[in-house]
Amino acid sequence: MRRRDFVRSLIAAVFATRGLAAQQAARQQLPIASPVPWTLGLNPKTPIPQTAVAEGIAEAKLSFFTAPQMESLERLCDLLMPAMGGKPGAVDAETPQFLDLLIGQSPEPRKKIYAGGLAWIEAEAQKKFKMAFAKLDDGQASELLKPWLRTWMSDHPPVESHADFVNVAHDDIRESTFNSKAWAESALASTHEGTPTGVYWSPVDPEPHTMSENAKPHVQAAKGAAKMPMYPR
Amino acid sequence: MTSFGTTQPHTLQTIQDWNPEDMKSEVFDVLIVGSGHAGGMAAKILTEKGIRCLMLNAGPVADVSRDTSRKQVYELPYRGFKPPGRLDHVFQSNEFNANVWVDEQEVPYTFDAANPYNWVRVRLFGGRSLFWSRQSFRLSDYEFKAKTHDGFGEDWPISHSDLAPFYSRVEDIFQVAGALDGPPQMPDGNFVIDDDPWTPSMQRFIAAATPKGIPVCKQRRAMGRDGLASSVNLLLPDAEQTGKLKSIANAVVRTLTVDKNTGLPNGCVFVDRHTLQEMSVKARVVVLAAGTLESTRLLLNSGLANSSGVMGHYLMDQIYGAGLVASVPEARGGNGKGIMGGAAIIPRFRNISTKSDKFLRGYAFNVTSSTGGVGARNFAAFGAELQQKMEEYHGSAFYMGIMGEVIGRRENHVRINPAKVDAWGIPVLHIETRYTDNEYNMAKDAVDVAMEVVESAGFEVLSKNAVPNPPGYSIHEVGTCRMGDDPKTSVLNKWSQSHDHKNLFVVDGAGFTSAGWQNPTMTILALSMRASEHLADEMGKLNV
Repeated sequence: MRRRDFVRSLIAAVFATRGLAAQQAARQQLPIASPVPWTLGLNPKTPIPQTAVAEGIAEAKLSFFTAPQMESLERLCDLLMPAMGGKPGAVDAETPQFLDLLIGQSPEPRKKIYAGGLAWIEAEAQKKFKMAFAKLDDGQASELLKPWLRTWMSDHPPVESHADFVNVAHDDIRESTFNSKAWAESALASTHEGTPTGVYWSPVDPEPHTMSENAKPHVQAAKGAAKMPMYPR
Repeated sequence: MTSFGTTQPHTLQTIQDWNPEDMKSEVFDVLIVGSGHAGGMAAKILTEKGIRCLMLNAGPVADVSRDTSRKQVYELPYRGFKPPGRLDHVFQSNEFNANVWVDEQEVPYTFDAANPYNWVRVRLFGGRSLFWSRQSFRLSDYEFKAKTHDGFGEDWPISHSDLAPFYSRVEDIFQVAGALDGPPQMPDGNFVIDDDPWTPSMQRFIAAATPKGIPVCKQRRAMGRDGLASSVNLLLPDAEQTGKLKSIANAVVRTLTVDKNTGLPNGCVFVDRHTLQEMSVKARVVVLAAGTLESTRLLLNSGLANSSGVMGHYLMDQIYGAGLVASVPEARGGNGKGIMGGAAIIPRFRNISTKSDKFLRGYAFNVTSSTGGVGARNFAAFGAELQQKMEEYHGSAFYMGIMGEVIGRRENHVRINPAKVDAWGIPVLHIETRYTDNEYNMAKDAVDVAMEVVESAGFEVLSKNAVPNPPGYSIHEVGTCRMGDDPKTSVLNKWSQSHDHKNLFVVDGAGFTSAGWQNPTMTILALSMRASEHLADEMGKLNV
């Protein structure tokens, strides 16, 4: 390289560096009135808003059980898991409303156990006491249910008709109640009866929602169920 | 659920970090598919011998600091219940851990509704080695030479003496705790010695069991390090330290590729889990460690290594779910301290020195003397009566649960279902397997024996169950590429090497010739170590 060319390239390099530095400075010191890139600003010092779970604050709209079924379920909850020793019962814990959500979204066999079971206890109440199950006193309701209580091990609930409903519902009612906000807040919850906490796993590096519609059957099915209007570009 | 302790996430390259041009040109010594115990051991052994390995894993890396948080159960949408409609076949799942299992819609499999199968999978880096019970047993020659003993099935092409040195090294790496108290059907090993005395409740149980010819031994469990006994903290760091291992996460292997001239596998085609981009890599040797059924699925989809027609057949596992819950009377009313506690393993005792006319092989029991609560399901009561019972029985529970051998039958098999594909367009497995009278009779016998022993000990039986959980539940699926000396009746030879392709190895549970009653992890690790050392030797001699 001749000396003159070398000096030219050196000068060009200096100006190029200055220009780059000037651009960076301009980016870092935006005029106050200009818009801020919308993704900037959140940082580890940003206060995190305090929020509450909706349970206990908002009224849940029934989605699965009918009103008469719900009356029976509430009576069942109150009988099987009443408030005791200063701890909330299933009704206090809004377990019937929670079961409406859980069972309503569950596969058909579980829905059938509940729908069939609630119909059965209503029919039994009418046959034996000539009144709705929801109106029975504790003694009457117990008389209907106790013959169907069984002992059983995990993953193997009773399969005989009626015993399946009574024991599965009992188990669900207890777990729903123990795991409720009301139970957690019970000042008298003793050490071994407190609401459990655990390590919750978020989705690990989940696939993006933009993934090809042909690739993921469940994404495809979900998108197919509700067509969104598209904007032409 | 296992925690990750202080394990640091691995510094893996993503597919995007790789220059595709480099990948096209680079031929690795060994391609390892899968990163669990089997793949991690292969990577450790091979790289420590200077062999350059590429590891592909179908899922992402788990990082507890990023992916987990501590929550109250009521904060979860379903109060801790398994999200409805998801993971129907993963009984182990709940709302806290639902996101660690393979999504059954994303990677489906098919089966006849009358014969359900629970295929329980984890695709996170490290696979199911992140989450396991850590029970650590060797197989004995009652398993390796089972046909010689009872005439059913096939013998393995190896015996306990072949694998013993490798078991010993694995036990050291995994820090297996146990006592040297095993009968011949449960060989002792290189243990961190457990010399804790038995508690009084366990002593009473042992006194009742021994006269009936039932051996009661100390549990054997991998302690690992820093609270974890996984590929990601005990195996992969050693491999990474050599500088000879490259790993790619989110690489879903579609098929193995074959050299047109030699007919030998020479790499694979994989799909980026996120972008669906298809990519390929080359290697001199392929080691499959994707988990029993995923390795077999890959081979079936690739049309390789099946000149015997045996591939996919002889799917086995262990029956779980049968057992009982009892109560130790003296421990009730808050008196359990000093009486309760401890755990034992009862190794198989049926069909050892006597012969049952009801079933072949046998079962083990996990025995636990608990200081915790007794579940409500153990009482036919509700309301105040139930509460009173639970308080009275608290701290007095005694559990017995079966682990029974499922015998290998040709008709219990998997095959490709060409009519259905997973989220990456890869044909799925159809699983056709069911338990027979052998397994049902075994479960019934186990509950009868358990009742007899605990009642002899003076314990009260609260609940019992003689119905096994569905096949697959134990997460101990083995077989489908069984090893043997005869290429006409087996897929792999005694080195876990394909009879058909000398540069193809399957080092996970697919190679099992029989299932045994034992948790298979120690055997998978020992087989992978042995196969990898053999492979390294053969590569050194240029035989592979």
